[in-house]
Amino acid sequence: MRRREFLGLVSPSLLVMLGLLLFPLYKTVEWSLQRVNYGEPGTFLGLDNYAQALSDPRLGRAVLFTVGLTAAVIAVLLVGGYLLAVLVNGLGRSRPWVLGVLLVSYVVPNVVGATMFSWLFDSNFGGVVNYLITELTGQEILWFTDPWANRVMVGLNTVWFMLPFAMLVILAGLQGVPPEVVEAARIDGATGWRVHWHVIVPSIRGVLTFVSIISIMDVLRTFDQLIPLSPQAPQIGNESIMLYIYNIAFQDGGQQLGLGSAINVLLILLIVLLLSPFIRDMAKEARQ
Amino acid sequence: MRARRPVVAVVAVVTALLLAGCGAGSRTPAATATVVPCDFPPPPSSVDVNVLAYNSSAIDPFTNSMVRSCSKDGVELHHEPIDYAGQSQKTIATLAGRYGTYDILETYGQVVPQHAASGKIHPLDGLAEKYGEQYDLDRLNPAMREAMSYEGKLYAVPMQAQVYVTAYRKDVFDRLGLQPPRTFAELRDVAATIQREGGIRYPLALPLLASSDIATAYDSALGSLGMDYVDRRTGRPNFDTPQAAEAFEQLRSLMPYMDPQVTTFAQPAVQQQMYNGSAAMAIMFSGRMKDLTEPENSRFAGDFAFAPPPSVAGGPVLYNTLSVDGWAIPENTDVDKDLLFHMVAAAVGPESSKAAVPGAFPAREGMVTPDSSPFAEAQLDAIDRAPPPEPFPWTPRIATAIPSIVADVVSGRTSIPDGQAQMQDVATKIVAEYRPIG
Repeated sequence: MRRREFLGLVSPSLLVMLGLLLFPLYKTVEWSLQRVNYGEPGTFLGLDNYAQALSDPRLGRAVLFTVGLTAAVIAVLLVGGYLLAVLVNGLGRSRPWVLGVLLVSYVVPNVVGATMFSWLFDSNFGGVVNYLITELTGQEILWFTDPWANRVMVGLNTVWFMLPFAMLVILAGLQGVPPEVVEAARIDGATGWRVHWHVIVPSIRGVLTFVSIISIMDVLRTFDQLIPLSPQAPQIGNESIMLYIYNIAFQDGGQQLGLGSAINVLLILLIVLLLSPFIRDMAKEARQ
Repeated sequence: MRARRPVVAVVAVVTALLLAGCGAGSRTPAATATVVPCDFPPPPSSVDVNVLAYNSSAIDPFTNSMVRSCSKDGVELHHEPIDYAGQSQKTIATLAGRYGTYDILETYGQVVPQHAASGKIHPLDGLAEKYGEQYDLDRLNPAMREAMSYEGKLYAVPMQAQVYVTAYRKDVFDRLGLQPPRTFAELRDVAATIQREGGIRYPLALPLLASSDIATAYDSALGSLGMDYVDRRTGRPNFDTPQAAEAFEQLRSLMPYMDPQVTTFAQPAVQQQMYNGSAAMAIMFSGRMKDLTEPENSRFAGDFAFAPPPSVAGGPVLYNTLSVDGWAIPENTDVDKDLLFHMVAAAVGPESSKAAVPGAFPAREGMVTPDSSPFAEAQLDAIDRAPPPEPFPWTPRIATAIPSIVADVVSGRTSIPDGQAQMQDVATKIVAEYRPIG
């Protein structure tokens, strides 16, 4: 391919990337150093927004909640996604139907899915889970105001809509494992979980890393599902970083776009920090 | 390839259903919208007019009438479905720049001074005088016109008002020999009696959502105690006064009679409690009352009765907030403002106002009567004894800055004095941007 043709084909993508990725990123960094209201030119503040953000204990709570949620959800996604993928992989003609049903929670918009999910725990709207728990234990759980009960509900919802993605990717990985390798392991005497742990899992390590990277990025950006699931998030310490940014930039007193941008930059740094081991791992694997 | 088909089919069906569900809200005015006279000289070229108004049973009759009646002679009105929070965000965004996205804005009394003070909405006195007779604007309630004004100038044409009304289960009250409460002390007594003898564990329902409604509730309690957010004369915030503390104590005193998760309840959740029969009394905006009277919503629809909200401490002013909605014209629209005013004025005409009852309390006088609305008497009394509006540019900023603190205090996470100090600090900083503290 000639250079001119190459440039002609690549430049539209480059333009889109510059417009939709780099320019907003540049504006976010620029605004993070300014006091900004809608439609008005910003006033340069230096690092004041960063100082203000880092001295706000609410940001610390948001980071703790978000990172905790991410760690818990990723662990469940990897284990649950693997188990589910193995089960689905073993299915025969019903596999496509089961896959279709499992993918429903993935295609439902987050806020819609979370609203429906919240009704399972809300006595005002039926509250099937509440009803069953009260019938079985006699306990009434305050899912929306008790911090830990609410964390469990948010975690369950996040797993509910992300598990199909993890399962689907891991399933693709499983289908790429050569049957003769598994067969050889069995001939050598490996059975049950040993085959999975010592043979299959190492074979799909790259796939598991990929699932982890995508899931970490997704869970760190948890936002819209908290609107129905945790209406009192700031009060009970269940505010995600993205919700905190939204509240600071648009809600609490409104229009603190500079401060919101500074926290956005800090979030990007946090994502890079948390992903760095996985990215390093992938790069190493690619070199090999 | 064949194996993939069912997956694709299931996902496609689900997606189609979801898209159908998302699009269930009409993007065009309801076919049943009332047609009103909207007479303007045809513009020289075609004009698109974008209307920003949130969807609710109180606002839709006016919006739909405007869109349906004024789309003619080369003029096309557009209105996309949107919720209240979305409208608030878009209002700020469209007014921010030199060019806006919207040409007509549905707005409300609390934010009019803020937008008027910054010159973002167009003063309408001249246009109101010019077209007043044509659209019979003299019949608009003077107090509601006042609520849409700032420093003596009209900035929005009032459309309808909302006030708090008490809805209660008459069957439960009659069985226990109770009367609708007139004070918070009576409210507690009635709630305690229902809790003890009426078989309803949480008899009282208030919208106290921590991120928004709770600030309105606190403002209503403060207003009933005769106190504004900020002293009108000196510009000094009032959150450190004894009344500010009492407002908190009174709200807290109701907590034993409400669902323990009440700080997560917006108005729809309160309605739901009434539909279910899990609450016997609710105090919320009058626009929500119509839904209670509809049999398809609740088996108790025939048992609901209505009363004005109680006073907090027995004074003449009720636990209430008078919220007036109206139509404003952004300063940054490039559509002819005379043309837009025709649409705005037409939307508040007698036909659409009449059709909006009982979901709305129209600004056009004489529309709400005991014959036209089951809660008319409660509304009229509630409007007469509502706290006066606070038409200042700092009021909405304070209102959006304090809900989190109010929620912490009401739910007991923060002490009353600490909450008062935090609110005083926040409000002092906001007011200082507008005027020196006296």
